[in-house]
Amino acid sequence: MVFTLGCAQRQAFFAVLPNADGSSGAITVSDNNQNSLLLDKPYAASEEKSGKIAPAVTNASDVQQVFGNALAAQPILPAHFRLYFERDTDTLTPESAQQYRAVFDDIKRRPVYQVEVIGYTDTLGTQAYNQRLSLKRAEAIRDRLIRDGLNARSISVAGRGELDPAVPTAPQTSEPRNRRVEITVR
Amino acid sequence: MRAITLTRRALAIACLAIFSMLQFASVAAAQNPQIAQVETISGNVFIQRAGAHVTVKIGDPLYEKDVIDTGADGAIGVTFIDNTVMSAGPNSEVALEQYQFDSNNFSGSMLTDMRKGTISMVSGDIAKSSPAAMKVKTPAAILGVRGTHFVVEVPD
Repeated sequence: MVFTLGCAQRQAFFAVLPNADGSSGAITVSDNNQNSLLLDKPYAASEEKSGKIAPAVTNASDVQQVFGNALAAQPILPAHFRLYFERDTDTLTPESAQQYRAVFDDIKRRPVYQVEVIGYTDTLGTQAYNQRLSLKRAEAIRDRLIRDGLNARSISVAGRGELDPAVPTAPQTSEPRNRRVEITVR
Repeated sequence: MRAITLTRRALAIACLAIFSMLQFASVAAAQNPQIAQVETISGNVFIQRAGAHVTVKIGDPLYEKDVIDTGADGAIGVTFIDNTVMSAGPNSEVALEQYQFDSNNFSGSMLTDMRKGTISMVSGDIAKSSPAAMKVKTPAAILGVRGTHFVVEVPD
């Protein structure tokens, strides 16, 4: 006969892990008795026993022991890119033309991928014109990715015109940082 | 001759039946959009979907209400359409209880029901959209996710 008195079984365990840059996010853990704990540092942890949550202690090697298989199964994290265009064209700036390669390589290293390309403009010209231009920019990048061998069905495009600038400006303002596409790869 | 006519009619009815089933399937798919994609998989992994056990492979879609079910040697990694990333280790049962995401304003909500096993999650746009938008439920506690990387274990 085994006595487990005073040694209640762990019902759940929670921990925050560091991001790649060493920072961390935060989670709150709440039980059914209105108890709540904020975990907002790397390896901040909590466990639940007999329906109550309490702080817990953990570290990288404990986490690896329990979550090693789950962590090994983690997909490559989504990535974001911005490419910039010459004024009033769907031609990339020389710097962004160079950076295109990094976007393509990031997509190619993934076993499966979904790519979203959203185009934007600055505020020169009419809204209607900029809507068309922003879509043309997104389509130019999509067409290039397809020419380079990516699957057309895995790439979506949209144009947001001048309405969602990276840098807010007055109307009819030339702003290179707003002449862009934003690319999400996952 | 008569037999042939009958066979033809039977064939026509069968075709019609298949056609309407296909239509039904596409309507069901339209009502139930893809919320995630399988990115990694190893060992035995099933998806409980509408009462059936479905096997999945890399690239397959997942839907709201799917339940991920990994065997003793199983693990799976999935990426959601809001860029949330989740992976589950062996002997895990994780229900994608509720999921909604609007890609026009990058907001939505997500409730994951962690029934047993181990998961690792890296949050995406939903957690950024509001502090209460992303939640993970365990048998007796609930987790509010403000951001990024965390792990949850529910022992069997």
